[in-house]
Amino acid sequence: MEENKKMTIALFTGSLDKLTAAGVILSGAAANDMDVDVYVLLQGARAFMKEMAGKTDELELAENKELKEQFLESLERLNVKPWLEFFREAKELTNVKIHICGLAGKVWGGEKLEDFVDIADDIVGIGECVTSMEESDIHLFI
Amino acid sequence: MDQEELKNLEVSKSVDARGTACPGPLLAAKKAIGEVDSGQIMEILSSDEGTRRDVPKWADKKGHEYLGTVEESGYFKIYMKKK
Repeated sequence: MEENKKMTIALFTGSLDKLTAAGVILSGAAANDMDVDVYVLLQGARAFMKEMAGKTDELELAENKELKEQFLESLERLNVKPWLEFFREAKELTNVKIHICGLAGKVWGGEKLEDFVDIADDIVGIGECVTSMEESDIHLFI
Repeated sequence: MDQEELKNLEVSKSVDARGTACPGPLLAAKKAIGEVDSGQIMEILSSDEGTRRDVPKWADKKGHEYLGTVEESGYFKIYMKKK
């Protein structure tokens, strides 16, 4: 059996549009049976806090901020899942690990794994993120 | 395969992904292929234009045989045979 290809995503963003895009890319990787490591960095860690989960409406857009209502309405009309669901579904389909950057967690008051959504796997340092990028076939910074 | 042959295929699994946009149909196909036996036919119903090319390419990459696409009114059906 040939080894799965590997993708690493450094997920810096905490904005709704970019998190959705990251979720869509993650889905594509999952459909292709890639192993994916997601490293959740500064702004991203806020979106992955347990208290923020489900509060999709409270996140802003990275671009065209004034079009947020239109963006949300379109996603609903197109039957697109909330961004976190892409991550959850990808985890069910393939080997996806979600790592929270230790520093990023602390910035938003998240010290322990329990402070983050249930799909977060562990809290790690940046060394692991860089090593993962080095070993990946594809690495992205979003 | 021509359109008539495609329409007469014996389909073991039909996936109706018409309600979803990309990447919904691709994920639906990925999930459903696990429920199909080798050599059996799966069809995916979609109205998402991105899916029209995405699913055949995915099938090819995974070693399944893409058999063709049939146009219906407002959607299309993609046929593949599991490896």
